[in-house]
Amino acid sequence: MAGLLTATVVVGAAPILVFLWPAPARGQKKTTLKVSLATPITQLANGDAIKFDAPTSPNSAFVMADGGGDNAPGDLAFGGFVVKDLQGNTNVFAINCSHLGCSIALNPDAKTFDCPCHGSRFHLDGTVLHGPAADPLSHLTWKQGNDATTINVDGLILGF
Amino acid sequence: MAIPHPREIQTAVVDWLDERYPFTKAVDEALYQRVPNFANAFYYCFGGMVFILVVFQLLTGILLALYYVPDATGNPAPAYTSVNFIQNNVYLGWLIRGVHFWGANLLIIMVLLHMARVYWTGSYRAPRELNWIVGVTMLLLILAFSLTGYLLPWDTKAYFATQVTIKIAGLAPPQQLGTFIKELLQGGPAVGPPTLQRFFTIHVFLLPAVIVLLMYVHFRFIRAHGISEPM
Amino acid sequence: MSDKRLLKEGPGAATAETEVPVIEVDSHGHTLEPDYKRLPIGPDHILYPVVVGLALFPILMGDAGHHLADDMPEDETHPFFPDHFWPYPIIAVVMLVAVGLLAAFVQKNLQLETSADPRTVTIPRPDWYFLFLFQLLKLGPELFMALVIPPVVVGALLLFPFIDAIAGPRFAKRLHWKTWPVPGRNIYTGTIFVIGLAIVALLTLWALAGPQFCVPWFINSPVCGA
Repeated sequence: MAGLLTATVVVGAAPILVFLWPAPARGQKKTTLKVSLATPITQLANGDAIKFDAPTSPNSAFVMADGGGDNAPGDLAFGGFVVKDLQGNTNVFAINCSHLGCSIALNPDAKTFDCPCHGSRFHLDGTVLHGPAADPLSHLTWKQGNDATTINVDGLILGF
Repeated sequence: MAIPHPREIQTAVVDWLDERYPFTKAVDEALYQRVPNFANAFYYCFGGMVFILVVFQLLTGILLALYYVPDATGNPAPAYTSVNFIQNNVYLGWLIRGVHFWGANLLIIMVLLHMARVYWTGSYRAPRELNWIVGVTMLLLILAFSLTGYLLPWDTKAYFATQVTIKIAGLAPPQQLGTFIKELLQGGPAVGPPTLQRFFTIHVFLLPAVIVLLMYVHFRFIRAHGISEPM
Repeated sequence: MSDKRLLKEGPGAATAETEVPVIEVDSHGHTLEPDYKRLPIGPDHILYPVVVGLALFPILMGDAGHHLADDMPEDETHPFFPDHFWPYPIIAVVMLVAVGLLAAFVQKNLQLETSADPRTVTIPRPDWYFLFLFQLLKLGPELFMALVIPPVVVGALLLFPFIDAIAGPRFAKRLHWKTWPVPGRNIYTGTIFVIGLAIVALLTLWALAGPQFCVPWFINSPVCGA
């Protein structure tokens, strides 16, 4: 009897659990997203950054290439920064703080990225300057586009 | 044939019922049950106030559901515009939504006061331990109500507050479990329309059913145990 | 309609006064007299359906059991209806008016911000009743503050009757107390309660003080409000 009841519960519950697992939305697919920047990368001064948002039509998000703390490879970001650090290396970071995912902002005076939520601060190369964040910012996978103001960033068309 | 007086019809109906079920006896037992005088202290009414507020919430919630659209696609999303419509266009929409909103806030305060009273007077003691557990469970349900209800207007603060909540739930180790919980709550890779759909369903179908059931159990226990002794 | 009643009521009824029967109810040893004969509303009252509506709820709740009030002297108890019930309709109306007035005059909280867009840059902030949890999160490692402390507190709260019943008397014995009083009369459980509330209140105030209000802390110092 106990076996029968267990079997009944399993037969009833298993499809429900499977049903609850989200299926990808129709039209959801990984692709390269074309992003137009406000200023060409070539004109970007050392220690400066340009913020950009994920495209809205179709509704998409960027996919992080790496990350620690709250961010992980494959996580989504709805914005990012193209930044030239003080040595002149260009990087593209996801906008999410590695602490709890708030949107970081460029602090042009201190030449750092500051998180307004819990006060984490990052160097322009993405490494941590001040906690609570313990991990560096996440990179986005990108390529220079056809012209200086366009970059192609790995992302996901959300399908909703 | 003379037209019977309404009172006679009523007595007849009651008689008819009495022949089939001890009706007046049940009403008498329920209504004229003796209550100790110490239960007149004002702090014994918090539970009743919580009950009244829950009834307000159920009624206003049903009314709001007549206009609310649980759809978060696009910008502005229909969910957002429908709440705005309720607030600004529907006749007395501001009142019904306001009562639901402020009632929810008041409800949390009253639940905490009720719980504080029960704790302070030691009313959780034997034989009422189970009722305390049911009560704390309902407190958690009320908080779940607030959490899921907060997302429904689909404005900026709702979106980001929910994102943080889901993120915290997703911290659970190991990482696979955390991601599993997160995706299950979100219904997708990010907080979006599927999340609203899930939160709406939980807020409107699941939680009310569970809390009404638990309220029944709560009152059943109170009726079986009677009012607790003064401290 | 029973013939018996027809003959006894109305103009020209055969008998003048109905005999008041005392119904012996074998529920838990107390005699239930037909209270509606003493109290204003009985089955022949026009408002009886309303009273039935009120009573349906406790009827659904089933048998009332044997209560403390059954053993108390008559003058130390009162009937539930109407003596105990009457404040509740008033409370209901007062609360409805209160939330209605709040809805009318404090519309600020009800007006929506812009429609949600994940691209918005904003500082997320929960509603006031979760602010203390939000603030607690900042006071230590996230994982510990989010997934250890709250479940432990909730678990302790759920099981408090058992903790109180098992650990309480043992503790009382060590203190040479005769009994282990309820929290309202108990310096230990009472203090725990007050301190717990004070912590929640302080964390909420700290969060409400805003992001400019920062206090040195052991970890992630300084910790600011939300």
